Amino acid sequence: MGLKGIEDIADRVIKPSVLRGVTLYTALTAIAGCALFPILWAVSGSLKSAGEVTTPTLFPAHPQWSNYREVFALMPFWRMLFNSVLYAGCVSAGQVFFCSLAGYAFARLRFRGRDTLFVLYLGTLMVPLTVTVIPQFILMRIAGLTDTPWAMIVPGLFGSAFGTYLMRQFFRTLPAELEEAAILDGCSPWQIYWRILLPHAKPAAMALAVLTWVNVWNDFLWPLLMIQRRSIATLTLGLVRMQGEYVARWPVLMAASILILLPLLLLYTVAQRAFIRGIAVTGLGG
Amino acid sequence: MFVAPNLAAVAVFMLFPLGFSLYMSFHNWDVFTPAKFVGLANYRSLITDPLFSIALRNSVVYTIGTVVPTILVSLAVAGVLNRKVKGISVFRTIVFLPLAVSSVVVAVVWQFVFNTDNGLLNIMLGWIGVGPVPWLVDPKWAMASLCMVTVWRSVPFATVILLAAMQGVSENLYEAARLDGAGELRQFVSITVPLIRGAVAFVVVISIIHAFQAFDLVYVLTGRNGGPETATYVLGIMMFQHAFAFLEFGYASALAWVMFAILLVLTVVQLRLGRRRAAQEEQSWA
Repeated sequence: MGLKGIEDIADRVIKPSVLRGVTLYTALTAIAGCALFPILWAVSGSLKSAGEVTTPTLFPAHPQWSNYREVFALMPFWRMLFNSVLYAGCVSAGQVFFCSLAGYAFARLRFRGRDTLFVLYLGTLMVPLTVTVIPQFILMRIAGLTDTPWAMIVPGLFGSAFGTYLMRQFFRTLPAELEEAAILDGCSPWQIYWRILLPHAKPAAMALAVLTWVNVWNDFLWPLLMIQRRSIATLTLGLVRMQGEYVARWPVLMAASILILLPLLLLYTVAQRAFIRGIAVTGLGG
Repeated sequence: MFVAPNLAAVAVFMLFPLGFSLYMSFHNWDVFTPAKFVGLANYRSLITDPLFSIALRNSVVYTIGTVVPTILVSLAVAGVLNRKVKGISVFRTIVFLPLAVSSVVVAVVWQFVFNTDNGLLNIMLGWIGVGPVPWLVDPKWAMASLCMVTVWRSVPFATVILLAAMQGVSENLYEAARLDGAGELRQFVSITVPLIRGAVAFVVVISIIHAFQAFDLVYVLTGRNGGPETATYVLGIMMFQHAFAFLEFGYASALAWVMFAILLVLTVVQLRLGRRRAAQEEQSWA
């Protein structure tokens, strides 16, 4: 093969692929930039002084950490953080337990009306929040639970149609041999669920837990309707109230936004796989 | 019974509200006085309410203005993220990050980006010689701004689902196409997109359902009245106002049921169309 031939091959193989690589990484960087720039701009804004906030610099000349200190002075941040963790934690734990229990029953046990009941469950997945929110609000008022922590916990604690569906689909993928030996040993359905199937359902349980956690943490409408007192408010609600009171005080508002975002970013980096898989499987979120 | 606690929760917080909401929509009720049966009066006054037609129009504009760009952008983004190259997981992590951010934080941060006097967007437009745009202040721009933020927020969600579907497309098909001399764009348009049609349809349905009921983002970004003027007065805002500001629970429930009905019709039409298209294509294969 002559030099010409090698050049031809180089032209065909190397150059286009290098070019393609550069194009691909440029595209990837541009996409990542679009996803990140509002957040980066918020971080930058949270460190600016009132004077500097009108300038387009990304890196403030003199980072004003005092903006963050001001957030702690203006809102009971730790208290609200505790509330958000409490609500999200309780609801996530309840969802995982009760939905996996019901999901197991729907997937593996035989009982009268099982299939009819499951179709009913699927049906409720179609009902939009718009329709249910007003009666739920009235229910909580009648029960006298408005403006108490219970209002945030009770509606989600005992499970949901969505979570049950997710867990049932997962249990159905587990092989039947898993429990056959246990049945021969005379284990009760509860023992089979608790000792054998639940440990195997960890990926689905994780996905459900993380999705629930993020939803409760980020929920706005429900706490807005339910909670008046600052001492039991969530961080998300606290931010909206703050936005109403300190209009256009951008550095402090951005500092508060970043502080509220941080715990979730932490969760996201740790549990990213479960979170993304949960969304991909269920189509919930967004 | 394993299903009992879960079933109780679904019955109390989903099934009962569904029925109760329908019941309320035929009554006039403000919680303080006894409910009064009014038949279809709520629905009739809804049709003649000029604000309802404004809200409906805004919601339709908002739905089209967010769903179409979201699908197009996320198809492209998922296509790029589907490439198995070095560091792709880092890019995926960054692109999916907005999924963990609550709509409240999104709205507050974007208010800062949209700020007329010194917001990032107007600073950047200034560099290319375009005068400041009153993004959230001018009724003409407010809806466009709202759509922009929503697209930013929903693209990662749609991308997760589309990417998961793309990863299921067999590598052999691309191999064959490459042998036939099809370029990358060609492969994407004639292999990837048709094969993930199901996932695309799913994302379209979910996105329409989300967009049609939008509330959080609108409430925080442009205010609880859907301003400026009625520029972002969407159905979600209208329902919230009537239920929780004016305490017209009957009227608000009627509105919720109209929204539910429209969504049901849209979903059914969408599924029908999808099925017919699939059937046609199967025929053309034969």
